[in-house]
Amino acid sequence: MISPHSWRRALRRVNIAGLLTIIVCLGLWELAIRAGILRYQYLPAPSAIAAGAEELAARGELSAAVLHTLEAVLLGWTIATTLGVSFGLVLGSSQLARRYSLSTIEVLRPMPAIAFIPVALLLFGFSTATELTVIVLPALWPVLVGTMQSVMNIHPRLRDVARTFRLRRVPTMIKILLPAAAPGIMVGARISLTLALVLAVLAEMVGNPEGLGYGVVSEQQALRPDLMFAYVVVIGFLGIALNALLVGALTGLSPATAAALEGRSS
Amino acid sequence: MSLDLPHQGGTRKILTDISFEVHRGEFVTIVGPSGTGKTTLVRVLGGLTPCTSGSVRFNGREVDAPPEGVVIVFQDYAHALLQWRTVVRNVAFGIEGRVTACELRDRVSSALRLVGLEGYDDDFPWQLSGGMQQRVQIARALAVRPAVLLMDEPFAALDAMTKASLQDELLRVKHETDCSIVFITHDIEEAVYLGDRVAVINGSPGTIRQTFDITLGKPRDQIMTRQTAEFLKFRYAVHQAIGGVAS
Repeated sequence: MISPHSWRRALRRVNIAGLLTIIVCLGLWELAIRAGILRYQYLPAPSAIAAGAEELAARGELSAAVLHTLEAVLLGWTIATTLGVSFGLVLGSSQLARRYSLSTIEVLRPMPAIAFIPVALLLFGFSTATELTVIVLPALWPVLVGTMQSVMNIHPRLRDVARTFRLRRVPTMIKILLPAAAPGIMVGARISLTLALVLAVLAEMVGNPEGLGYGVVSEQQALRPDLMFAYVVVIGFLGIALNALLVGALTGLSPATAAALEGRSS
Repeated sequence: MSLDLPHQGGTRKILTDISFEVHRGEFVTIVGPSGTGKTTLVRVLGGLTPCTSGSVRFNGREVDAPPEGVVIVFQDYAHALLQWRTVVRNVAFGIEGRVTACELRDRVSSALRLVGLEGYDDDFPWQLSGGMQQRVQIARALAVRPAVLLMDEPFAALDAMTKASLQDELLRVKHETDCSIVFITHDIEEAVYLGDRVAVINGSPGTIRQTFDITLGKPRDQIMTRQTAEFLKFRYAVHQAIGGVAS
């Protein structure tokens, strides 16, 4: 049951001015096309894009594409985050591990994601495995480096505390290092998620013929700009939704951490 | 026992010729000016730093890692507390997974009662004052029911009033739990007021040359005890031992 009070509160959170700007821009775009000021053969008006999206949804192609891309993004991101946090914890807490692997990481990290696509294609063909390879490898670094650096920055006193209470290595990681490094890990995980969506779409455009990225390319080749733009818009919304979901999940998952972060920053 | 630490290519002697015993249930304060290795001494006693020659023994066994039953209370409570945990969960830190849920609850609440911190169970450390945070850290140490409490200038960062009330809390805790306490401080009056015995650490490298048996009566009182002739006599003696440096 939604009370009028909470409705009003929800309304107050909406950025009316910002929303208005978007609406005005869309209106101008629509007007410019209808009045014939903008004359590109393949630039549809917003109303045509909306109709296109409706058409795609009715055919069931849109939800299938969204599901595929979403699955690839979430799977790839989960793998990247798990690997990144694990390696980051080890690298952050062991100087020996850093000495052996930091140069390898510095070589691999700046490699452009797109360079992996032909390699992955040769290895795995036009498949989801290719897509996941392209997502995981670059999305790994923000989490790994973020975790490593936050673990290295943990105040040495916390390790003393773990030792004086006789905590073993693994409990120390779980109870001290992981929560103390949580803010840095979250930053890395957010960057990684944004990156994962970009990479998924990219991989679908050139590697794995499925999902939203493939939708954009195939409609472009079919000379249906309205449908192509509809896919682009959906990709945009997916990005916004994923980010909002992650931020919401992180605050919901651990209100204590959120409170602690707020308390520290104030 | 002595200790050398690596320093600019070579080693530097931090502590030398330190030898003393702490008996069960005794309150020993170690007082000395800064730079004499007081904090290092606590770390060696607590098994965080190994000594380079000699040995530290606890119940006859050599200390090479933090032994069970010996807990350190650090000076910088803000860094020593887990900022993402509530008061209750901070206090539970040392015993969780080692005792039953029921005993955990009992121990945590009795530790909090011992330090006079009730009704803040679900607060986070950063929501509490400095004195209260230090109480949380002491409660966390008490929850493991330690045989020895090693305290590294625990009240040095607190204001005079908070300091006085925490000193009395600590004496009461000591009386009720009967654990041994080794208490490091640079405050001569605090050392005399709290200790059954005061050891003076001095010099660089630091060494203990003199100890005093403090025969003041108990319970001690912030006003009455501090103005007795005996207290002043001990204060003077410790002062002289340190080398007449103003406290």
